[in-house]
Amino acid sequence: MIDAPQRLLSVAPSPAFWIAVVAYTAAEAALLAVLGGRVRLRPLALVLVGAAFAAHGIDIGWRGFDHVHPAQSVREALGFLSFIITGGYLLASARYRLTLGGAAVMPVALVLLVVARLTPAGSVPEDLTTLGRIHISLATVGVGVFALASALSVIYLAEERALKRKKFDAIAFKDRGAPLEALDRLSHRLIWIGFPIFTAALGLGAAWVSQRGESLDRPQYPLAVVTWISYAALLVLRQVYGWRGRRAARLNLAGFAAALLVLVLYLVRRMTG
Amino acid sequence: MSELFVVGISWRTAPVAVREKLAFRDDELSATLQAMTTDLPVAEALLVSTCNRVEVYGVGKPGADPTGPVRAFLAAQRDLAPGEVADVLYDHRGTAAVRHVFSVASALDSLVLGEAQILGQLKAAYGVATTAGTSGPLLGRCLERAFGVAKRVRTETAIARGAANVSTVSVDLAKRVFGNLTGKSVLVIGAGKMSTLAARHLYASGAQHIVVTNRSPEKAEALAAEIDGIARPWADLEAHLALADVVISSTGAREPILTRPLFKRVTKARRWRQLVVIDIAVPRDADPAIGEFDGVYVFDIDDLEKVVAANLAERARAAEHAGRIVEHEAGQFEHWMRTQGVVPTIRALRERFARVAEAELQKTLDQLGRREHTQAQQREAIQRLVQLVVNKLLHQPTIALREATPDEAGLRAEILCQLFDLSPGEAAAAAPAAPVGAERADPASALGQLAEPASSERKAVT
Repeated sequence: MIDAPQRLLSVAPSPAFWIAVVAYTAAEAALLAVLGGRVRLRPLALVLVGAAFAAHGIDIGWRGFDHVHPAQSVREALGFLSFIITGGYLLASARYRLTLGGAAVMPVALVLLVVARLTPAGSVPEDLTTLGRIHISLATVGVGVFALASALSVIYLAEERALKRKKFDAIAFKDRGAPLEALDRLSHRLIWIGFPIFTAALGLGAAWVSQRGESLDRPQYPLAVVTWISYAALLVLRQVYGWRGRRAARLNLAGFAAALLVLVLYLVRRMTG
Repeated sequence: MSELFVVGISWRTAPVAVREKLAFRDDELSATLQAMTTDLPVAEALLVSTCNRVEVYGVGKPGADPTGPVRAFLAAQRDLAPGEVADVLYDHRGTAAVRHVFSVASALDSLVLGEAQILGQLKAAYGVATTAGTSGPLLGRCLERAFGVAKRVRTETAIARGAANVSTVSVDLAKRVFGNLTGKSVLVIGAGKMSTLAARHLYASGAQHIVVTNRSPEKAEALAAEIDGIARPWADLEAHLALADVVISSTGAREPILTRPLFKRVTKARRWRQLVVIDIAVPRDADPAIGEFDGVYVFDIDDLEKVVAANLAERARAAEHAGRIVEHEAGQFEHWMRTQGVVPTIRALRERFARVAEAELQKTLDQLGRREHTQAQQREAIQRLVQLVVNKLLHQPTIALREATPDEAGLRAEILCQLFDLSPGEAAAAAPAAPVGAERADPASALGQLAEPASSERKAVT
């Protein structure tokens, strides 16, 4: 069953990958069960997330032994991005109860990992220089941090909606997750962390494109700039005009949507050669 | 063996008018407990007296049923005829009593399911009983286990989740937005009783800078003094709205005070900081439209009641699971109690066996120490020692079996077969030279064979 896709892959998925897939799926099931009222499963759910994170890390290391760099392509970077998101979620869970966030993040991490491992690999570009690798690495970390900030914004909007509309039986209300102010503050801090990383990635990306003598007329380049502008605007608006809460969360999601679109365009380009 | 009992009255069986007659003051508890253990067939006792229950948990003296005397005692303590409270007093014994204590500690028997106070009250009552010297090993173990069960129930179920009254719901909702309320500013508009209660809860949760404003400055001053706040003139309302994190409004105004135009000005000044408005007034003080502003959350009295109802419904659902935990734990405690009954027997049995083995071992060692022995002689001496110990240990049971009446012999033999995992039929089949016609199928005979060696062996060891 694995033979057909394996022909298309640069390196076959490791056993750790399949363990990670099972652990992510089980973690999602456990988180949903917790949201459904089986609160005793909360520690188990976190253990499963931890197991998925560990297996995912081993898989990345395994590929490293096969000389597959986590930032050698957008496809590989997606796997790394998923790893960062899960790690960030685990870190945040140590401080706040984020069951709803986990239930939202686990499928995203799983899909990213599966896409990164089971889609056609294409070939490693011959002109992938150190500059290119640093660009991809920084962009992956930056987008990973933005992804975490966005997950918090999604939870914020869900909880805020439940409170505003007085949906006291909504999961977002019953879950008793992190308070709104904490979600808003944490999301803002993550954007502060991710923004300089993403800025550096953007600058290095432009330098890499220029080094290769390519033109900047591909749609992903202006979209990356749109992402940067969105986050820059968000930081300025918060600092100067006090933007926070719902409007900040929405702008954060808009910026992340642009970042995702950039990734998708890169992925499609790699897959279609 | 003595068993646990419960005698008491609670909100389930009697209205407050009756409960208050049987209630005990804290300073009466110690003397009452000592009187109970002195004058009644009660070995251990604890008395818990709260607004919702008056209950005695205890252990009766061996062979006595203490529930009747305790009922009469409780009535007599309050100059009531036993008949006056006979219908409202209940009692439980054994496992039912344990189950009741566990349920009470877990707040499954409370008026408000899952409330936290009862556990503290039980702990205090246990402390009084311990100080008074009326709590013994069985009651103590039961209470300690009850506290553990209560903790388990609170951890593993949603029995204690969510606030269960309007005042605490206000705090809960504010915490949904702010998390920790430490350092948050509270603005109390109006000086109604409900807003006072809510402000007190917020203050107890860490909220600081409580500002009270009211059309009547005197009332504002009085309330501010009561809740450690500051009274401010009514004219400064807008300025304080711009600074507050939580607003509690409870005025008697006929028209909304917190209007949309007012909040349009205020939210800009607040730079969209979160604001929770708890409107307990009827008619409402807050125009519901102010909830449309970013960061403003408005809850009226109906909303608070809805949250209370939802939380109580969730607690009721959790109570089923909690009940199963209590049932399981009560079963385990019952098992422990049963084992406690046979502990002295086990101890005596072990001591007797040890004495016999030690005495025979000493004899053998003395014999061996008198002169040099070959290895074969030493081996023979050890075999004799083992045989002697076995004979001595089985002598008494064998006699008891042989001298029993036919009815008793069967029962005793059966018990021995169970205790020693004997299969007399198999033993007969395995025996190398069973005498023809011997009663090998009889467990008593099987034991007799083991206990009585051949005459030559007997000779050798004596």
